[in-house]
Amino acid sequence: MQEPRLHWMRGQAIEEAGAARALEWIGLDDAGEPIARVVRILGPVSAGWRHYRAVALDTEARVVQLRPPPPEGAFWLACVGGRVVGRAALPLQAVRRVEAALGD
Amino acid sequence: MSETPLARIRNIGITAHIDAGKTTTTERILYYTGVSYKIGEVHEGNTTTDYMEQERERGITITSAAVTCEWKGNRINIIDTPGHIDFNIEVNRSLRVLDGAVFIIEGVAGVQPQSETNWRLADRYNVPRVIFINKLDRTGADFFRAFATLKDKLDIVALPLQLPIGIEDKFEGVVDLIEMKAIIWEGGELGAKYHDAPIPADLLEQAKEYRQNLLDTALSVDDAAMEEYFEHGDVGIETLKRCIKAGTITGVFRPVLCGTAFKNKGVQPLLDAVVDYLPSPVDVPGIKIAAEEGEDETAERRRIKADPAAPFAGLAFKIINDKYGTLTFVRVYSGTLRSGDSVLNTTKSHRERIGRMFQMHADKRAEIKEVSAGDIAAFVGLKDTGTGDTLAANEDPVVLERMAFPVPVIDISVEPRNKESIEKMSLGLQKLASEDPSLRLRTDQETGQTILSGMGELHLEIIIDRLKREYNVEANIGAPQVAYRETISRPHTEIYTHKKQSGGSGQYAEVKIVFEPLDRNSGVVFENKVVGGSVPKEYIPAVEKGIRVQAESGVLAGFPTVDFKYTLVDGKYHDVDSSALAFEIAAKACFRDGMKKAAPIILEPVMDVEITTPQDHVGDVVGDINRRRGMIQNQESSGSTVIVRAHVPLKEMFGYISDLRSMTKGRASFTMQFHHYDPVPRNIAEEIMAKSA
Ligand SMILES: Nc1nc2c(ncn2[C@@H]2O[C@H](COP(=O)(O)OP(=O)(O)O)[C@@H](O)[C@H]2O)c(=O)[nH]1
Ligand SMILES: [Mg+2]
Repeated sequence: MQEPRLHWMRGQAIEEAGAARALEWIGLDDAGEPIARVVRILGPVSAGWRHYRAVALDTEARVVQLRPPPPEGAFWLACVGGRVVGRAALPLQAVRRVEAALGD
Repeated sequence: MSETPLARIRNIGITAHIDAGKTTTTERILYYTGVSYKIGEVHEGNTTTDYMEQERERGITITSAAVTCEWKGNRINIIDTPGHIDFNIEVNRSLRVLDGAVFIIEGVAGVQPQSETNWRLADRYNVPRVIFINKLDRTGADFFRAFATLKDKLDIVALPLQLPIGIEDKFEGVVDLIEMKAIIWEGGELGAKYHDAPIPADLLEQAKEYRQNLLDTALSVDDAAMEEYFEHGDVGIETLKRCIKAGTITGVFRPVLCGTAFKNKGVQPLLDAVVDYLPSPVDVPGIKIAAEEGEDETAERRRIKADPAAPFAGLAFKIINDKYGTLTFVRVYSGTLRSGDSVLNTTKSHRERIGRMFQMHADKRAEIKEVSAGDIAAFVGLKDTGTGDTLAANEDPVVLERMAFPVPVIDISVEPRNKESIEKMSLGLQKLASEDPSLRLRTDQETGQTILSGMGELHLEIIIDRLKREYNVEANIGAPQVAYRETISRPHTEIYTHKKQSGGSGQYAEVKIVFEPLDRNSGVVFENKVVGGSVPKEYIPAVEKGIRVQAESGVLAGFPTVDFKYTLVDGKYHDVDSSALAFEIAAKACFRDGMKKAAPIILEPVMDVEITTPQDHVGDVVGDINRRRGMIQNQESSGSTVIVRAHVPLKEMFGYISDLRSMTKGRASFTMQFHHYDPVPRNIAEEIMAKSA
């Protein structure tokens, strides 16, 4: 990969098989401002009698429903600002989507 | 060399579709690891893991022999894993004792139906796997096409660690995507010589693309590795290998390597991958102890950790009778055992003394004085330890999770052709049955013939072959038949009096027995309810035995009678004329008369059949299954193929493979295994009875 434009750091995490795993990677600009993030798509989940095929955490760790649900095989969302700029199977691929979107 | 630390042991299997190159690859591994100095070719019939003669002829591996070899300071125990569906039992038991596997597919056809079956079996045991795409030297080989079948057919994330350099007769080496270099094999010396080189210019772009894919996939299992990547734009080799190992063990992706075993290219990096990515005994969760009676099989239970200092526990997974005597292969899960020690067989509740212990190498058996957790050894001279038995220390007499043995559903009759063969045959069959828990023997009471029951035609064919070769038995063999069972469907009470006056002393015995049906899989149960000594105590075992023996030949068509209870409730005896023999005879006759009045029925094995067919033939396949008295269980499509699952009587499945092929132009495949016994319809019962009469 060419030199990343952003500084990436671990964001929110989830406990999986006894270990903390990142659910989110945050992209900071040179001034240290978070301007982008990639976030793992979770689901399906049930809340009460409602059933959601796909959800993700927003920047304030609220669970939001993804509508329309992402295509099969997409497990990560690439976001710049509040905007979804791409989807990918793997977090590093999502990171590249973000970097590509910033390059445009 | 006995002092190999746990983390440097690998217990692996090599599984493959028949002819994909398992034997050749194993042979090369043994050569490069230095214990086998002469490479034997499969077609010359001279390989090490293939223990038995006829196997060389057939070119299929039927015995799971464990072979030990050394690679760069690591000990690799290779547990041979057969490829044919009839030997599922062998595959199952080797999958139980290994910690990882090399899965070979070939570079021309890619994943074939049998590879799918083996893959799913390995899934069932959560076996970590690395994949080797073999035969890249062959005309028509195509790495990328074979690779694509991994994803299509197995639905996995296949992760190339290498790319081929050249193909077919121009195949000369691989690009190593981890270190980004080329590995080129030199001619001569059977590929033992190879060197690193820069990646050829025309492959550089492709290599970069695949390396990015490797990083994307592998690093996703490890956040610290992701951080290292964000910091440096790459990661160190050790980090990358750590991630690949983690993902291989959990199975989120499956590393793919390639080469040609036959032309001696690619095998050494495969060995490196075994050491780098497959788990050692301490990387796996440890074996579960067996469920108590009535306990849920799948529930979480205590696990035995690989610890050489803990009390001993091991599992006997293979028994081989050869000219040296009986060899019992044991996977040691915990503790350390020295020759001369004594242990408990906790499955059968008796003591075993450990005599000599060996580790089998390609060219010799090496005697060892001790064996520790994580390792495999062959014990000589155990008294009575069968496949699947646990051996454990007195301090902690655990029983390890049992192996499941399939129900034998096919019968074949064998008759010695001459007097000399009679004894040899019974000895040989007993030995073979002790090696193979899925083989059953019985004697037909009517015809006196010996009946073998096994899992499939090929299974029995091989047994017969071994009988001829290893035990020099000349025998007449009947045609394979469905292993029917008989049972009763209502209770009945029968009284039988055996009375005979012959010269001096006579014979006298009377028994009154209640016969009752039991649920499926209950076997045969005996109860004694005699009060007041109307049948003296010493004759009760004779009654029990008489019925057990007679039950081997049912009253309808001579098949074993199962799932019933018989209760001895009363009888009469005579002070002078009664004997154990008289009571045994009376019991047998009582069974023959009584069973006929207890509404006897014939049961047939019903198979769980799984057919994989292209979408456009589903209609034909399902219609045909219905005509075979099958019951469709479900239908699932993935892409353009459909998986049909059905329950079908075994009788209707004879010759199915060729019918299925012609129905689907060879594009469908199927697997089946025993599911349950069901009563046969009336017309078929009549057919079976007429045949046996
Ligand atoms: N061209 C070519 N033939 C191979 C290769 N590996 C194995 N074979 C041949 O394929 C046949 C089956 O190989 P074998 O090792 O017995 O396969 P197994 O049935 O999986 O044990 C034999 O004739 C081998 O010589 C290979 O890499 N290239
Ligand atoms: Mg073979």
